[in-house]
Amino acid sequence: MLTVENLSISFRTDEGLITPVQGVSFSVEKGKTLGLVGESGSGKSISTKALMRLLPGNSTLSPETRIRYTAKDGREIKIDEVKPGARALRKLRGGEIGMIFQEPMASFSPVYTVGNQMIETIRLHRGVGKREAREMAIEMLDKVGISNAPERIDQYPHELSGGMRQRAMIALALSAGPALLIADEPTTALDVTIQAQVLELMRDLQRDLGMAMIFITHDLGVIAQIADEVAVMYLGTIVERGPTRDVIRSPRHPYTQGLLKAIPSVDKLHDRLSPVPGDIPSPTERPSGCPFHTRCSEVVPGLCDRTIPDEISPSPARAVRCWLHTEEGRSAA
Amino acid sequence: MNQDVLIEVKNLEVRFPIRKKKLFSSEVRQLRAVDDVSFNIKRGETVGLVGESGSGKTTVGRAILRAIDPTGGEVIFHTDGQDTDLAQAEGEELRKFRQHMNMVFSEGSVKLSSMGPDRLRLFRSKMSLVFQDPYSSLNPRMTVRDIIAEPLIASGMMKDRDAIDARVRDIAGRCKLNLEHLRRFPHAFSGGQRQRICIARALVSRPDFVVCDESVSALDVSIQAEIVNLLKDLQEEMGVAFLFIAHDLSVVAQMSHRVAVMYVGKFVEYAPTERLFFHPRHPYTHALLSAIPQADPDVEFDPIRLEGEIPNPLNAPSGCRFHSRCPFARERCSADAPEWREIAPDHHVACHFAEEFDFSRPHS
Repeated sequence: MLTVENLSISFRTDEGLITPVQGVSFSVEKGKTLGLVGESGSGKSISTKALMRLLPGNSTLSPETRIRYTAKDGREIKIDEVKPGARALRKLRGGEIGMIFQEPMASFSPVYTVGNQMIETIRLHRGVGKREAREMAIEMLDKVGISNAPERIDQYPHELSGGMRQRAMIALALSAGPALLIADEPTTALDVTIQAQVLELMRDLQRDLGMAMIFITHDLGVIAQIADEVAVMYLGTIVERGPTRDVIRSPRHPYTQGLLKAIPSVDKLHDRLSPVPGDIPSPTERPSGCPFHTRCSEVVPGLCDRTIPDEISPSPARAVRCWLHTEEGRSAA
Repeated sequence: MNQDVLIEVKNLEVRFPIRKKKLFSSEVRQLRAVDDVSFNIKRGETVGLVGESGSGKTTVGRAILRAIDPTGGEVIFHTDGQDTDLAQAEGEELRKFRQHMNMVFSEGSVKLSSMGPDRLRLFRSKMSLVFQDPYSSLNPRMTVRDIIAEPLIASGMMKDRDAIDARVRDIAGRCKLNLEHLRRFPHAFSGGQRQRICIARALVSRPDFVVCDESVSALDVSIQAEIVNLLKDLQEEMGVAFLFIAHDLSVVAQMSHRVAVMYVGKFVEYAPTERLFFHPRHPYTHALLSAIPQADPDVEFDPIRLEGEIPNPLNAPSGCRFHSRCPFARERCSADAPEWREIAPDHHVACHFAEEFDFSRPHS
C-alpha cells in the first residue's frame, strides 16, 4: 500500500547542504508492521515525516524520490508530488496516515479536553454530527482500554497518567480512521509494565482494524515482538531489511550484528557488554563510501571507504547494503 | 568488592507535604514518597534500584545524598579512614585538603541524616550524582575543564590551579576524554561524550559513593553498553560504590552486584543480582521481568497482566501496597502489611507468601 523509493532528504543549513537521509527504499503491506530501528540521528523519524510531508521549510526531497500510497478508496497518491497546502494533503494527514509520538503531551493541546480534540478530529475526517462523534470517541477510548470512558472523555490531558495519555493519543490517532499508522517511539518513555500493555493493545487493534503500521524504535526487543518486517537504519540509509525473525536470527550486516550484540539481556548476566566501537559520525561529516566503514570491524580497505555499496539480496525477501556480500567484496577480502 | 558496609540506610522515610488550597483554609496531606526503607551498600559495590516511575527510587538516591532532607530514619556513612592513599596520591599540594579529610575520617561512622549544612558540604565531595539527561545537566557556558573542576572548587577541597588541572586531566583520561576536549564547550559533544563528562565530574573528587540516576537511559544501546563498561572499569580502578537507579532491568542486570525492587515507596525485594533475576520471590519482581520484550522472536512474549496502574502514593492501598494489582493476592494481603524479612542469606523480600512462590527462570 505504501512504496518508498530512493527517498533522499536534504537540509540547507548554515554549514551548507546536509543530507541526513539518502536513498531509502521500503514498502509497507496492508495489515503488516514494518519496524524501523536505528540509533538517534539515523534518520528514522525524518524519513517517516516525509511520508506526511511534515518536513520543515529548509528541506528538499531529491528529484529521484518516489513515494506512492494507495488510499482507502483505491486511488494512488503520489505523495512526493503533492503541493504543500493542497487539499489532498489534508485528507492524507490523519485520515489516511495517522501518527503517534513518544511524548503524548506534544500531540494534545493542554487547553482542550481529550474529548473535545477527538470530536474535532472525527467530525473533520468522518463528516458526522457532534453527538455521533462523541459516541464514536467514547467507543474509541473504550477500545484502547481506558476504563470509565464516558467520564474520562471530559478530562484534560494533564489529568491522565502517562500510560492513559498514551492510550488516549492512540485513540485520537485512530479516531480519524487511518489505514496506516506511523508510531514514532510510542513506548520509549513508558515503564516496562505499561509498555507491555500498550504493545499488546497495538497488536490487538491492528488485528481488529486491519491497519498497517510503521513502528519506529531503537529497542530491538520491541521490534522482535511487534514487527513483521524490519529495516535497520544507519546514518540515513537502510543497511539491512527483511522479515524480523530472519534478520534477528541471522543478521547479515556488521552493524546489525553489532547492535544485536550490544543489547543487554535479563536472561544472561555478562561481565561486559560489547558496544559497537566508535561514535556515530555527525551528518555534516558523512564518511565516504559505506557510511558504516569507520566503525566496521570487517572493513575492506580501498573498497568500503571509496564506493557506496548497492543494495543486494542475499536471499529472497532480504536486502543488505554491504560489500561483504558481493563478489568484489569477497574477492577483495 | 570487599565486605565493609559503606552506607547503611535504616528506616528511611521521606514525606512531602501536599497543600490543597481551599478558599479560606488549606488542607495538608502527606505524600509518603519513601516509606520505611532499610538496606546497605558495601564499599566498591553496585546496588541497582529498579521500579516504575513514581515508585520513589530517585527520592531514595537524593535522600542518601541529602539533596532532599529525609523526614525520618537514618543514613549512616561509614568512613573509617581506609582510603589514605587518596591523600597520598596528590602529595604535598593537598595538605590542606588532607586536614579536611582527616577531620572527616576521625569521625568513624557519620550520620548524614542529621548533619548541618557546613559539615554536609565537606561530605559532598565523598558522594556524587550522575543525572539522566546529559544535555541539561551541563552548563553550556562553561568549558569542559571548568565543568569537571567545579566540584573541587565548590567543596573547597582544592584551591591550587595546577593541582586542579592535574586532577581534571587525570579523571578526563580515565573517562576516555582527550585533552583537547577540555577546552571545548558542551554543545560540541554527542550524548555519549556528554555522559562521560558528567561521569568525570562526578568522580573528580574521588568519591566513595556515586548515585547514577537513570544515567544510561537516554542513550542508544551501543553507547549505553560503552558507558556501562566504563562505569564498571572506573569502579574497579577507584573502588567507588554506585547506587544505579534505572527503570530498564536489563541494564541493571549487567551493572549491579545486588538489586532492589521498589514499589510505591517501599522495597519489595532485595537480593544478589543472580538470585533476583533467576529466582525472584516477589510477584511484582516476577511481573516486571515478564514484561521485558526480548530481542528473540522465538521467545513467547507473554507478560503478566498487571491490572491498572501504579497507585498514587497519596492514597496507597492498605496492607501490602501491591495487592491491588497482584495476580496472587489473598485476603490477608489487603489487611496486613508484609514484613521486610530475609528468606535466604542476603535475600530480602516483603511478601506474606514468598515461600510458596517459585518464579525461577532458566539461564540461557
